[in-house]
Amino acid sequence: MSAGSIVARRNTFTRALLYAVLAVFAILYLMPLYVMLVTSFKPLEEIHQGNMLALPSDWTFAPWREAWGSACIGLECSGVHGYFFNSIKIVVPAVLISGLLGAFNGYVLTKWRFRGHKIVFGLILFSCFIPFQIVLLPMARVLGILHIANSTTGLVLVHIVYGIGFTTLFFRNFYESFPDELVRAAKLDGAGFFTIFFRILLPASIPIIVVTIIWQFTNVWNDFLFGVSFTSGDSAPITVALNNLVNSSTGVKAYNVNMAAAMVAAVPTLIVYILAGKYFLRGLMSGSVKG
Amino acid sequence: MSFLHIHNVHKRFGDTHVLKGIDIAIEKGDFLVLVGPSGCGKSTLLNMIAGLDAISEGELLLNGERINDLHPSRRDIAMVFQSYALYPSMTVAGNIGFGLEMRKVPKAKRREAIQRAAELLQIENLLNRKPAQLSGGQRQRVAMGRALVREPQLFLFDEPLSNLDAKLRVDMRTEIKQLHQRLGTTIVYVTHDQIEAMTLATRIAVMRGGELQQLGTPQSVYDDPNNLFVAGFMGSPSMNLVTARITRQDGALVARIASANNEVTLPIVRDRAALEAWCDRDVMLGLRPEAITDPASANREDGEIHEAELEVALVEPTGADLYVVTRLGGRSINARMRPGAPLSPGQSTRFAFDVSRMVAFDPETEARIRDETDATTQVTARPAALGQNV
Repeated sequence: MSAGSIVARRNTFTRALLYAVLAVFAILYLMPLYVMLVTSFKPLEEIHQGNMLALPSDWTFAPWREAWGSACIGLECSGVHGYFFNSIKIVVPAVLISGLLGAFNGYVLTKWRFRGHKIVFGLILFSCFIPFQIVLLPMARVLGILHIANSTTGLVLVHIVYGIGFTTLFFRNFYESFPDELVRAAKLDGAGFFTIFFRILLPASIPIIVVTIIWQFTNVWNDFLFGVSFTSGDSAPITVALNNLVNSSTGVKAYNVNMAAAMVAAVPTLIVYILAGKYFLRGLMSGSVKG
Repeated sequence: MSFLHIHNVHKRFGDTHVLKGIDIAIEKGDFLVLVGPSGCGKSTLLNMIAGLDAISEGELLLNGERINDLHPSRRDIAMVFQSYALYPSMTVAGNIGFGLEMRKVPKAKRREAIQRAAELLQIENLLNRKPAQLSGGQRQRVAMGRALVREPQLFLFDEPLSNLDAKLRVDMRTEIKQLHQRLGTTIVYVTHDQIEAMTLATRIAVMRGGELQQLGTPQSVYDDPNNLFVAGFMGSPSMNLVTARITRQDGALVARIASANNEVTLPIVRDRAALEAWCDRDVMLGLRPEAITDPASANREDGEIHEAELEVALVEPTGADLYVVTRLGGRSINARMRPGAPLSPGQSTRFAFDVSRMVAFDPETEARIRDETDATTQVTARPAALGQNV
């Protein structure tokens, strides 16, 4: 037997091992999702029979309809749909505004440098590392003063403030490698501060815009702490509603409804990942090569 | 009054003095090339003319108007950048027309101007492409189109050819020169390539360490360098430099180049008056390779030929010429001989020195040693233009 084929055989072996390990991890990660999905399509009786992993023998959409429109959360029995739209109302403006502000910050910090720009960037960056718990009380006070406590508007503000650190970091690193000569050329062409930003830089920023949207969308959508701290009742986001739904039991635990509601809460982030995941990796790379 | 007048311009970045009082004046239609090694401040000077860098001290006059504090877009200047700096998200037409759009030129007029510029540069078929779909040479053309379309008073070029491959660089160089001749535009061009400087310029400004070393026509800078740096920087292969002792022989001033194994004595015919003062002292002699030839191809009509027998150390044929290296005064000396001359290393042959082209430098200060009359006509090409505002 030649040396070459020994190496080849060892290669196939390590490769097989590698795939086996990857497969185990993939199953491990996908298992909960699978259980959630099948459970959400089963009637309650079937769940009580046990056998969590079995496919439903009697497929039903009733749990999804109930979760969406008539499940009881606290005393109100109209499902999670209202809270779902609350979350949308929070996420969309919070992502857009924090993204735009981050892009502006990145633009100024790289292309219109001023004395002390490093310190300013350092401070903005520092905000990424402040634990949520520390800002809870001061933020509650601020929301109270602004009269936007217990409202989706209040949560929008909270998420914008908290998001700026990350969005600035993303855009600054991206624009750091954006050639200065383009900005200089635009200046000579007669373009001003905003024109250069909107006409030259922003159209060339698609990868980092996608990264920012995914990052901010998932963070804001999945937030529970701020939601539960600063809202209650009708203005709560879906994460809080999901928790309340699971906790408001009326005798029998409706696992299928809970699972369907959880899926409803998870679907938007899944969609964002599937649509833009390709850009996410690419964008993270392009930002990090020159940072 | 000159068209562009850079008057005693300084640039400081904190404690570092980048430009130390630059004085340059050019006329309308001139092609000024700023040339020098990297870090000499030539790009900084260009950026200051463009308005992208602030002027620390001094004055910048364009067509009689002080433009020191004018915003870049109001200086009526267009610039071609080293990286071309094309806007990646716009088409070629969008790139070329952007400056006009910013100046609120009506759409129909804009389209007309874009078309004209595109025709001039032969890029009409590329107008709808994005920069990413273009080759290097095409990008270069678009960058030039963007500058041309605005019909500015002054064009600035920042090493525009340095990103192109060798062949394309030569082609584009010719094209820029043709464009300049056809349009009669005024151009300031930065490069570190002395051949580019020689071929393109009507005025060359050689810079080093933030100081202007010499300003003049390409030929005057080449034939009559102000100092050792200019002499060595301009020309390829570079000027032969060798230490020589100035002495008197039979009443005439001569330069003796001596080393352990040979000695050559050359008569002094140029800058004789100034070199009188250097009698019995060492100077640095400079002679271009083409001023040392084989006796047959020596120019006896314009020059003054002095022959000497020397040993060939190395032969380098380039096709058009034959460069023959010999040893003199402890240095390698490069001579340009006619191709096909039957020479081989180790052999002795006669070298013809054109001593009328010989220049001498102070070995300490590296300044040129030259006659007064010579100096006034050659130091700067336009003493009147410079003198007015000084």
